[in-house]
Amino acid sequence: MSKYELPIRFDHKDIDVLKQFITETGKIIPARVTGISAANQRKITKSIKIARFLALLPYTDMHQ
Amino acid sequence: MKKYEAVIILNPNLSSKVSEFKKDFEKLLSDNSFSIAKIEDVGRRQLAYSINNHNKGHYILFNLEGNPSKLIELETKIKYNESIIRHLFIVVKEHQGKDSSLFTESKNKKSEPVDIEVEKERKAVKPKEDQQNKEPEESSPEKVDEDGEE
Repeated sequence: MSKYELPIRFDHKDIDVLKQFITETGKIIPARVTGISAANQRKITKSIKIARFLALLPYTDMHQ
Repeated sequence: MKKYEAVIILNPNLSSKVSEFKKDFEKLLSDNSFSIAKIEDVGRRQLAYSINNHNKGHYILFNLEGNPSKLIELETKIKYNESIIRHLFIVVKEHQGKDSSLFTESKNKKSEPVDIEVEKERKAVKPKEDQQNKEPEESSPEKVDEDGEE
């Protein structure tokens, strides 16, 4: 049903999954747009933020 | 005892000394009574943004089990190790048995033959001199008729 591929367990190393939930500019897409459950949105947000710290995802598109 | 997932990003300039580093690091872990469940050497990867002017990093993933109080000692040592440009320890309930997607991705990349296209054609493009007879444009002098006051 959902247009997103959601894994059973979220992982900060699984970039392909997380990339669905960020915009071109690197922002996290809000829950009201993604439409996934609040619990999943929280998990995704957390793992995106970890992936950003590990330089797997960008914080912004303005990185130099 | 807690289970940890660790990600360590090494200085890409020391990529050739990775095996050396791994041995040292494993020793450091065992000295701090950490048991290693799994090591995944992802290899060099493009960073999403530059860290300390490095655009690439050598990623190594660890699955560890150890004592939280020892982790603090370990992190202080990592802090002063200049070959590590970034590190992260995360507490997990259970270790994942599967290979991480990063590791499988890097494996697939290595198996694919890397085609290095060498551009042989480096001939300077000679600007073709078009022998066009430049026709003298008959410029019709536009006479701006100024409104002469009568």
